[in-house]
Amino acid sequence: MSEGPIVALERVGKRFSTGVEALAGIDLAVAPGSFLSLLGPSGCGKSTLLRIIAGLAPPSAGSVRYGESGLARHLGFVFQEPTLMPWASVWENVYLPLRLAGERRERVAPRIAETLAALGLAGFERAYPRQLSGGMRMRVSIARALVTEPRLLLLDEPFAALDEFTRFRLNEDLLRLWQRHHWTVVFVTHSIFESVFLSSRIVVLTPRPGRILADLPVELPYPRDGALRTTPAYVEQCRRLSALLSEAMA
Amino acid sequence: MNDRIARIAAPLAVGVLFLIGWETLVRLERLPPYVLPGPLLVAETLWRDGPSLLGSLLVTLRITLAALAAAILVGGALAILFAQSRLLEISLFPYAVILQVTPIVAIAPLIIIWLRDQVFLSLLVCAWIVAFFPIVANTTLGLNSADRNLVDLFRLYGASRWQTLRHLRLPSALPYFLAGVRISGGLALIGAVVAEFVAGTGGADTGLASRILEAGYRLQMARLFAALLLLAATGIAIFAALSFIARLLIGHWHESALPREE
Repeated sequence: MSEGPIVALERVGKRFSTGVEALAGIDLAVAPGSFLSLLGPSGCGKSTLLRIIAGLAPPSAGSVRYGESGLARHLGFVFQEPTLMPWASVWENVYLPLRLAGERRERVAPRIAETLAALGLAGFERAYPRQLSGGMRMRVSIARALVTEPRLLLLDEPFAALDEFTRFRLNEDLLRLWQRHHWTVVFVTHSIFESVFLSSRIVVLTPRPGRILADLPVELPYPRDGALRTTPAYVEQCRRLSALLSEAMA
Repeated sequence: MNDRIARIAAPLAVGVLFLIGWETLVRLERLPPYVLPGPLLVAETLWRDGPSLLGSLLVTLRITLAALAAAILVGGALAILFAQSRLLEISLFPYAVILQVTPIVAIAPLIIIWLRDQVFLSLLVCAWIVAFFPIVANTTLGLNSADRNLVDLFRLYGASRWQTLRHLRLPSALPYFLAGVRISGGLALIGAVVAEFVAGTGGADTGLASRILEAGYRLQMARLFAALLLLAATGIAIFAALSFIARLLIGHWHESALPREE
């Protein structure tokens, strides 16, 4: 790969003002176009790491370097909760990042319509978040992150609160969109199955303070779809990862 | 369905029983009307004196609405100012509290002396002092209660201070602001009446408080009750109107205004 990493972390550590050490000595280079999962148990600092990558929290040690200038303006972020504005319709919520960038409604309307359609939200433009199910709200949240056509998409356990059925559907939809556009993705999760299904690379973190325990490529070819979940190769990958995790956490 | 009937019928039944008990007591004990007039006499007086009382009510109402408008403008502006600078908030907020906890009957004479030629203005200022605090306190809380993740999102997208205020903090604060306005509406009415009580103004353009005082001096208790009734009805009307406006503004999204599914 001739291109440098889109984002590179060097010896990144984070200690909160309470004295709790959340992360220590994280070295991580994210290759452009990759789908990287940060996998670890609750409280291992993976969300903190994501916030540091996004520039929402400063690291207390080490450095974060973006591979291209202006990347900070081309980030998409999806939180654990849908984090929508309850007073605004679906359309207005997705329009938000463009509006903040000074884009006029008429100019970006086609782009918004396209993004909504890609996430199965066509026809829900005028609905308010309160009227939607948890899964649909999360779709709006993802649409809002994608509408700016980000070069780096950061997702913080976006599907953790959803039922498994909805979660599978959203996994497949996200995968389908990524296979089409190939933005770089950093995806935080505590689900082994989810990370193997989606990612090209999995970084496993230990509990507090979070350190990198393992850094593995996922040797399953793209394009993938829902059928992958029943293949022996997928099951084998999950089994190996699971064994590695339980060995390390013991 | 049953619940909705009960919601109206139950308090109505209590009211009717209370009035019957009151009238019976007055008749059995042969209480003179200057001690306690019966509800029938009050109703009759209200019907007879209504037009003259209504003129006074209008004066009180004008002061009330002007004070509420001033409370909304100044209270809202102060809250926005506080949200811009934490230093400003901690410097000024204690004084807002002091103004709030000092009894208005104690400050009113001063204000009336200072503004002695402007009766309307002095009453307005008194009513405003009583009314503005809930709006400042609630709106400040609301402006600071925006979803933390949304605040981060605005930061991520490089939103300016003004954009964050306009598109995030103000809408987040709206339900809090409206709750404050609903409280202030009632307080403005109380402030207007109390201020007039203290001012004890005579003359043509005086409010309901003056009618109540006069009626008290002349032992016209039925007229006093009629005036009280008008005041209470006005207070309820203001509250209902403000609740209606609140539902119009946030009814489509805020939890407080949505029907609960059983």
